[in-house]
Formats: sequence, structure tokens, C-alpha cells
Amino acid sequence: MVKISDKIPWLRGRDQIIVANNRHFARFDQNRKFGDCSFVVFDTELTGLNPKKDEIISIGAVRIRDLQINLSETFHCYIRPKNRQHTQATLIHRITPQQLEAAPPLEDVLPMFLNFIEIDLLVGHCVQIDTSFLDKATRLLFKGTVANPSFDTMRMAQIYKRKVLGDFDSAQPSGDGRYNLQKLSAELNLPFFEAHDALEDALQTAYLFIFLVKKLQSVGVITLRDLLTAGKEIDWAARKADGV
Amino acid sequence: MAEKDTQQAAIVPSVNSSEHVVAPDVAVSFLKSTMPFRELDDDALRDLAQHCKIDFYPKGTRLLTFNESEITHLYLIQRGGVRAFITDDDGDIVLKDYRGVGSNIGALGIIRETRANLNIETIEDTFCYLIPRDVFKELVRNDSAISHYYLKSFSDNVVATAYTELRKNKLTRRSTDELLLFSTKAGELSKPLFSVSATTSIQESGAIMARQGIGSLLVYVDEDPGSMIGIITDTDFRSKVIAEGRDIREPVSSIMSSPLKSVPSEMLCFDVLLKMMTTSIHHLGVEQGGRVTGVITTHDIMVQQGNSPYYLFKEIASQNEFEGLYLLSEKVSGLVRNIINEGGKSGDIARMIALINERILAQILVLIHRQLGPAPVKYSWLMFGSEGRNEQTFKTDQDNGIVYEEPGSEQREEVEKYFRVFGEQATYHLLKCGYPSCRDNVMASNPKWCQSISSWKDQYSWWIEKADQQEQLGASIFFDFRHGHGTEQLAVDLRDHVITSCRGDNTIIKNLGRSFLSHQAPLSFFQKFIVEQNGDHRDKLDIKLRGLAPFVDFARILSLKYGIRQTNTLTRLKRLSAKKKVDREFYLEMLDAYELQLQLRVIHQLSQIEEAKEPDDYIYPEELSDLEKRMLKDGFGVIAKMQSLMRTELRGS
Repeated sequence: MVKISDKIPWLRGRDQIIVANNRHFARFDQNRKFGDCSFVVFDTELTGLNPKKDEIISIGAVRIRDLQINLSETFHCYIRPKNRQHTQATLIHRITPQQLEAAPPLEDVLPMFLNFIEIDLLVGHCVQIDTSFLDKATRLLFKGTVANPSFDTMRMAQIYKRKVLGDFDSAQPSGDGRYNLQKLSAELNLPFFEAHDALEDALQTAYLFIFLVKKLQSVGVITLRDLLTAGKEIDWAARKADGV
Repeated sequence: MAEKDTQQAAIVPSVNSSEHVVAPDVAVSFLKSTMPFRELDDDALRDLAQHCKIDFYPKGTRLLTFNESEITHLYLIQRGGVRAFITDDDGDIVLKDYRGVGSNIGALGIIRETRANLNIETIEDTFCYLIPRDVFKELVRNDSAISHYYLKSFSDNVVATAYTELRKNKLTRRSTDELLLFSTKAGELSKPLFSVSATTSIQESGAIMARQGIGSLLVYVDEDPGSMIGIITDTDFRSKVIAEGRDIREPVSSIMSSPLKSVPSEMLCFDVLLKMMTTSIHHLGVEQGGRVTGVITTHDIMVQQGNSPYYLFKEIASQNEFEGLYLLSEKVSGLVRNIINEGGKSGDIARMIALINERILAQILVLIHRQLGPAPVKYSWLMFGSEGRNEQTFKTDQDNGIVYEEPGSEQREEVEKYFRVFGEQATYHLLKCGYPSCRDNVMASNPKWCQSISSWKDQYSWWIEKADQQEQLGASIFFDFRHGHGTEQLAVDLRDHVITSCRGDNTIIKNLGRSFLSHQAPLSFFQKFIVEQNGDHRDKLDIKLRGLAPFVDFARILSLKYGIRQTNTLTRLKRLSAKKKVDREFYLEMLDAYELQLQLRVIHQLSQIEEAKEPDDYIYPEELSDLEKRMLKDGFGVIAKMQSLMRTELRGS
């Protein structure tokens, strides 16, 4: 017996996966230690930065448990975009149009990805961009968004520079591209490679994440809440410096 | 957890088969860049990569603790570096090893199923791939290339040192003159044991030796046949039986040398040889489990290698002609190369060079005495500067002098004349042996540095109390004097004088200290090496001036302040630590940093000699390996700490 809502997604209510997810995070405890949490570090490749018309064309992710990157738990998928124009786009040099043509659509990939992240915390570099595309997609398909808290390694790098290195010049992250993932990795002397896909970008971000978490531990950032507090502190200091 | 697994199992088949969960290519290519995993084929590598975890260890993290840590993973260094070490009962670090990118940690423990056999600590921010123990064991079991690799690397030497890496890169090995001194142990060369009871007659003992065709015989007492109380050799028959007309019916105990000197069977031949050279004992017992189980002789070691240090040493001592000495001294650098190739560290090399230089000096002076007659009064040949500190590598400039006993007034003129000629001849022959003259003319041929004991004492008092800062600085090398030949007591008296006049609050300590503080740190603010800006040595680092000199100066100044007699920098630092003038941690840091720089310099100079260039102290930082650069930078960081300690010392005094 086929329900009509199976055929027409927008007729469905909030999907069960979203309900369970939101229920879980309603009681989320920010006093948990970083070392006790599992994280999924992920990266998406997009046809462009406009959430209204651009699409996700690949997702790469790797899991971190006990603050160790787990190469046995990775996720990597290409996604066939709705707008076929995008498959012609040569802008994304790392993906060939053939790869996209052969890929499953977002409707198939997204449930797998949500199963993969489950109730782990999300990590990304400039993660707001990735989550905004993700939220748009889940809203469309599942009538809701996942509530997994996310951590931005760019933001954390900024905090690291202020709290650990005492670099007071770093309040404005984006201006000169110093916080670009490649530049940061080189500057912090992390293992560095030419990333070929979203999975390798996620891996590069994962290196940055475990580095930052362990370095920040040395200045007393132990729990998730500690990081939020540290973030507020540097914002406050920056506003003060700007005379606000 | 179980629920999660089933969820994942459920999604995997639904994923496009070409996109199923795989390790990133970069992980595979990393593994492919390391020994021994590069031996694996691509499928095996991909499979291995999928089992890996990656962890980050900030600098100073202890990864493994000797005899305690259970090894759950093989650690494969992707970024950073670690130090491996064990400590002896006094807490001294007795074995060190540095491992950098691509090296792995824990293999031995996993294979042998033991706990960690070394302490491992990160000396850098370090990222490691972790290969689970069982996965690694499986590989070793099933892949012959991998098992062969580990078998080979453990068979003779459990720990290959970072110096292996240094040597491999910089010096071409010459297989024809391998020394094997550093890989062969006493036990491997020892001869089976022949022994007789102490009551056996001399004649019967001689008969046994002749019958067995052996040159020595161990002696035991009947009550305890297992423990050896002495040894007789061919020489004893010549010198104690025939020359003294001894009755051959006497017991062998009357001519034996006792007690028997022995070495542990684990001792490296290099150290055995040093022991033989310094004690002039040519037959040593070899001990295993507290019992002598064999004998090792100089001959055994010499047969092992034709061109051995001992051979050179002995030839020097038997030279009757100056020309012969000139020729022999040319062999020193070849000898040093052998020692380095065999794994000798800068400390070993300096010891060996010092022994040989002293031997050459002694022989020159003996030959001069043969021509000029014995000295009219006792004297001590003094060595200053690096030679005085026992730190010369290759032939360094002569810095020497003579102190002689106070002559009576009637004798004075004759004594002065004798030593003037003696000093002139000695420095001339040293020059011909390849020790260049000192540019500042600090040599025994200069009447200023060939003086009686009272004049020398006055000279030191003047330096300590009256000289200005510039003069005191210029005199630094004189405070590193050491006895080289003659009557050591004179040098001892002089040292007593320096120590009593120097102790505590003194202008010389303040002035030397201030000048020490003005050393420019060898690293710029941005952690770049400070290199020469122009001239022939542009872009090079003067490792002697910028790297080594601060350690030497630091050790000298504090030794003068705290009455330490020793002149060798490492020994001085050790004494300062023993006297609690510097804390132990910091002492060990200084030790590491200083030894590494010595080693880099030796290797640099040796490769210059091989290219027929004059050895110098200028190294190109760009040519160093990452590990070397990093270790060198750490070492330079130590200099800044020494300066801040010196600042405190100066304030306190």
C-alpha cells in the first residue's frame, strides 16, 4: 500500500528522523567535555554560494571519537543537481560532469548523511555556509532541520590565536584570507595536502579541529560551554578595542 | 552502540557502490610514503588506511612510558617528531634517539608482546597515524616484506639513532674500511676460556699454552674453580720468568697479573679498545652473568679491522723519527670518518681524537728530550682553548704553553733557555704534524706563555683582578687550561690558584657574564636562523660562534664562579647540575642541544675534508633535514634560557 505522502514529499509532516533528533538535543548539556563527545567533521561542495539557487553537489565527512580522527568512519558522496545546467559548470574543477551525471540525487543522499551524523556534533570550516545548505535541504525533504550543534574551526582558530598565542590582531577573521583553511593549516604546521574532494577537505578540517581542541585545553577550554564563553570574551575585547 | 552499528550496516548497501565508505586518497598516499608500508600493494594500503586513526599530540606529550605502557597501536609520525629515551638508576638519560616524519613507534613492543621498551615524548606538535595492534600484527605475520623489514631492523640494533639518518645522508660509506667497532660486542670476539689452578707450575702452564696455541691463560683457586683471579700471558714468561731467572717449578700464581680486569660481554668493541688504550692492558676477561667466560685481546680487535685506532695509537708510540709522526698524524681524519660511519657520536670522537693528539704530543716531546736532554726542572705542557676543554674535532690551531717549577736564582737562566728551545721545537713539530700555529701566538714558543709557576700565578691574578673587560675576554681560553704532558701537579697547583682567586664576587665573572648576555640569539623573532648577511659565508650559519660558543662561555663563567675545576663543557655542565646551580631538567636540555650541534659540526667538517676543503664552522641551514632544523632550533631556544639564568646569576653576585 503506497501512501500518497511517499510520492509527494512536501505533503509529509516532520520526518521521524528530525523529530527524534530535535527531541535528543532539547536536553543537550553544554557542560560536556570535548574529549567525551563524538564529532562529524564535514564539508560540502556547492555550485555557488547563493542558497536560493545553488545546490550541494558533494558531501564529505569523517568522524572523530576520543578526539581521534577515525578513517574507518568516513562518508563521501557526489550528488546529481536538479538544475542540469550545473553539471555543465566547469567552475568546480574537482568534479567532472560525468561524475555528477552518475551520482544519486539529494533525496537519496541526505537520509544516508543524516544517518551517518546521527547525534554527533558537527564541525566545519566556515560551517554556517554548509549548515545553511543542509538546513534548506532537510527542510524541503523532512520538514524540519537537525539540531546538532555545530562548531566552526575558523572561529576556533580565531579564539586559539587570541587565547593561546596572544595575537590581538586577529579579531577580524575574513578580511585578508588568513583564516582560509589552506593558509591556516600551513601556518599552524598541520599535515598538509592538496585536497581533491570534499572528503579530503573534511579531513584537513579534522586535523585543524583536533589540533585546536587540544591546544585550547591547555588554556582551560575543556567543555563545550568553555568554548562559547571564550568566544564571547574575544568578541567583547574586540568591541572594546573598536570603541563600541 | 549496537543499534548504531545496525543503522550503518543498513545504509552502506544503499550507497552507490563506487562511493562506498573509503579512506581518503591522501591517507593512502601518506602510508605509501613510509617504510615499510610502501612495500604493500594498493589494495592492501587502502585496506590498511581504513583501519587507521589519526591523533594529535602537542609538544611535550608522553606517548609511552618504559615498562609501563601497554602498546595498543603502532604510531606512524605524519608531522612533528618524538624523542625516545631510557634513563638509568640515577635518572640520567642513557640512550637517546629522535624520530621524525615517516618513522614509527612501538613496533618492537607489539611484535614481542611486551610493554613499551622506551619512553617516548613528543618534541614537537605531532600528528600520528595509529595502526591498531592486531592489524599491524596481522601484517607482520602475513606480509613477508614487512616482517623482513622489522626482523632486520631489530636483529642487531634495537634502536637506530637519528644519527644514523644524519650519517646516511651526509657521508658516503666506504665499505672497504668498515670498523665494526660500534656494532661488534666484546662477547662476539671473545676467545674460549682456558684456565689452570693457581697451584699449577709455571712450566706446566707454559706447556698447556704451547699445546693449545694460545697466548694467555686464566688462573683460578681450587676452592672456586669458576671465578678467575688472574691471568698470565706470553709477556709474563719473557719478563717475569726468563728475565728474572725464576724457577719454572714455582706455582703459576707467582707470575700472574691479578686481579683479572674484565669487561661485560655486551660492551662495544669501541669501549673495550678505549679501555685497553687507557690502561695499557691488552688482555681482558669477558664477563657474562658475573662470570668470566672468555678473553678478549687487542689482537682480536685488530684482526677484525686492519686500520684500527689502536694500531695507529701504537704506531705513534713506537715512532723514533719526527717524519714518521708527520705521516701518521695524517691518518687521524680517516680514522674519525670510520668512527662516525660506525655510529660514533661527537663525544666518542672527541675522546678518541684527544687520546691520539695527546699521544702525538707526548711522542714529539719524548723525541725532543732525546735530543736536548731531560728538562732541568719539572714542567707541565698546558693546552688551552678547545684542546684544553677536550673538545677539538679535527686539527685545531695550537693553543699551548709551558709552566715549569720555580727555578733557583742560579739556575734561572739555564732553565729559561732550555724551555725556550724546547717550546720552539715542540710547536714546530706540531705544526709539521698538521696543527696550525695560533694566530694570536698563544704557543709554548712565545716566552710570554712559557713561564715559571709563580709567573703564571701572577698572570692569572692580574687577569682576574686587574685586567679590563676586553683583556679578560681575550683571556677566556686561558681559563680552559689542561695538563697535556710532563708533571701534572704543576697544572693542579695552577688550577688551585685560579679557583681560590676567582670564587664568588669578581669583576671577571661580571664582565664575562655581561659579554655573554650580549651574544645575539641565533634565531630571529620569526624562528628563522640568523645567517651571515654578506661575505664568503653569506646565508650560512656560524655554528661555532652562534651555536656552540654560548654553551662554552656559560659553562666557563659559572664554573669559575662556583669553583669547578673541570674544563670540558659537558663535564662542567654536569658538575653545575650536581651542585644544584642549574636544575636537572635544564641541564639535560643543554646537554641535548650542545651534543647535537657538536655532531652537526663534526659531520659538516668531515664532508668538507672528503671534498678536500679546509674544514670550517659555516653550515647552510637550508641543507639540513627537517628534523635537524627542528632540533637545532630547539637547541637555540636553550641559549635564551641560559641568558636569563645568567642575568639572575649576575644580579645575585
